[in-house]
Amino acid sequence: MAADKVYDVVVVGAGASGGTLAAHLARAGVDVCVIEGGPAINTRTDFNTHALPYQFENRAIPTMKPGKPGFDSERSRGVGGKSLTWNAVAWRFSERDFKGRTYEGAGEDWPFHYADLAPYYSAIEREVGVCGNRDGLEDLPDGEFLPPVPMKCTDVAVMKGAAKLGVKVIHVRKATLSRPMKGRPACHFCGNCMAGCDVVAKYNSADVHLKPALKTGKLTIRPNAIVREVTVSNENRVTGVKYIDRESRREGEVRACVVVVSCACVQSVALLQMSKSRLYPDGLGNSSGHLGKHFIPHFTGGVQCFLGEFVGKTSVNDEGYLDHAYIPSFMHNRKRDYARSFGVQFNYQNRRAVGWARMVKGFGASYKQAVKERYPAFLTFAPYGEMLPGKSHVDLDPNVKDSYGLPRARRHVFYSENDIKIFKDMTKWSVEILKAAGADILAVGEEPRTNHELGGARMGADPKTSVVNQWCQSHDVKNLFVVDGAVFPSASEKNPTHTMMALAARTAERIAGELKRRSL
Amino acid sequence: MKAPRREALRIVGAISSTCAFPFAANELYAQHAGPHGESPAPPPARTQPEFFTAEEFALVSRMADLIIPATSTPGALAAGVPMYIDMVVSRNQEAQRLFRTSIAAFDLSCRARRGKPFLELDEAAQIEVLTPLCEAADAEAPSAQGRAGRKPEVALFKAVKSMTADGYYTSKAGLIDELGYSGNTVMAEFPVCTHEH
Repeated sequence: MAADKVYDVVVVGAGASGGTLAAHLARAGVDVCVIEGGPAINTRTDFNTHALPYQFENRAIPTMKPGKPGFDSERSRGVGGKSLTWNAVAWRFSERDFKGRTYEGAGEDWPFHYADLAPYYSAIEREVGVCGNRDGLEDLPDGEFLPPVPMKCTDVAVMKGAAKLGVKVIHVRKATLSRPMKGRPACHFCGNCMAGCDVVAKYNSADVHLKPALKTGKLTIRPNAIVREVTVSNENRVTGVKYIDRESRREGEVRACVVVVSCACVQSVALLQMSKSRLYPDGLGNSSGHLGKHFIPHFTGGVQCFLGEFVGKTSVNDEGYLDHAYIPSFMHNRKRDYARSFGVQFNYQNRRAVGWARMVKGFGASYKQAVKERYPAFLTFAPYGEMLPGKSHVDLDPNVKDSYGLPRARRHVFYSENDIKIFKDMTKWSVEILKAAGADILAVGEEPRTNHELGGARMGADPKTSVVNQWCQSHDVKNLFVVDGAVFPSASEKNPTHTMMALAARTAERIAGELKRRSL
Repeated sequence: MKAPRREALRIVGAISSTCAFPFAANELYAQHAGPHGESPAPPPARTQPEFFTAEEFALVSRMADLIIPATSTPGALAAGVPMYIDMVVSRNQEAQRLFRTSIAAFDLSCRARRGKPFLELDEAAQIEVLTPLCEAADAEAPSAQGRAGRKPEVALFKAVKSMTADGYYTSKAGLIDELGYSGNTVMAEFPVCTHEH
């Protein structure tokens, strides 16, 4: 990389958002450099996809094979980021998700409508392959799907139970191939998706977006470079990024006309907070004072149970691709004493991990028999709730630095009264649905736990109360963009990655157009 | 469930969230025994316990044997569970304190009530000693799992049982021979459910 080279765009982070954005830019003829804190990873050889726990002394299957770098810290996961180890659930948000305040007077409206994002959802589905069933639900728009993967027997049992309560169970929708596509094979159902898919049946940004985009000659990937600052000139333009080499620890710099921050919600917020300058002493693009605020991670509950009709049955290979079914949000049409809603992911347990066995009562031969009988019947159930923007926020720890000498990002999570009401209700519904399906409840999670991270640099029409506009463009600095979960003004209860990718595609088109018009 | 709090604060700090599932069934004690993502050293062939004294190791082994005995399939001993427990405890200071103090208390109470150490009792008497401890441990709320029970003997039983279950069901004997795990294969199609439900 020539030191004096100035790229059109530098994208910080090579995950689902950054990878999608960079590929779309390169394909549009934009000269783009993706800078990624982690190493390049060979998905075929570097992951422990087909390992079993007893191959490791502590019975924990490590992410990487011996000697293979990656996923060693939050800052240096690898080229592909969390898309390498995600579960690939891919929902479209609905108009209700984008317009929560209009519909219910709670949360924040996004500065655009579902119809504005719909073409980009379609583009992503055609590009990466999303399997699913067209269910015709108002709150979960259909897309351009590959055929769905059949439900597990245990899903069908849950579906029958849920139906008694008027609750619908649908096929999950995943960015995992149910049919071969563009040189990628269909899923082979080994059941360890989140260990990293070794055949790229499951989408990851490195193999599906970045590698093919290299052929354009417009894309440069710079791995092992941990960005520590986005630099800004006195003329209020960002000029590039400064990084620390992960291996040599030397400092370096990449210059560009446009900077896009896409290094995962909290790290994106933290990078802007670390980028202090004369113009922006409180963090880059933070004239509103809203950077770090409105952190809205999903929160989950959990129930573990045994489905009665499967107790004592012969164990079958139903690992599949983890969860095959889903309970979409159903409360928005029901009477309730809170705003927003929840959806349920379930039956995602990996049968090579049996951590629940210690909760089975008794000891001795009868205990051993009880575990064996329950093994085919074990099922986990996890409702995901939408957190409303409130006091939860992200900041930099003034005292703790990581191994690169950079301040650690802290997540401060406050559960509001509304959040707790959702948590209690989604837990209650989970237990009722499982009981209706004939389940014996083993354990119920008593406290909400955070999951998908969203918010912190939210988009909005008003520069006084938001960090970026509807094009993910900083209100303060014209040639600075933030593209990932950080910009979500409200969270929905749906897994967010598909929306991030659609947003990345939409933003890439905008940036490419603005560059052509020379208006950046 | 606890009374709802109007507002609860958590400082989650710098814990990396990799969008793992909540409430996963794969949280084993030993998984916390090494830094996340660190490549494993090849499992050394342990022949001697690192943490336990010979007496302690004999006691823990006997308890593990009683918790998951050999039946038509191998039990905890054949699966190497005692050495697994030693590995977990040797890497966890809190567990070390728990085991050291609770084994001493268990031994004292056994001698006081039964007139001899646990290992010198016959199997029926040993089961009689463990049964009330197991009942007390089972009566604790599921959320108390992993936490120390009030009585040190209960805490000891609970820890040994949890680690025995972890170690056994993640061993080849437990996972494959006993439970019949048959995943981790290549399937051309996922089968459609044809059962009557």
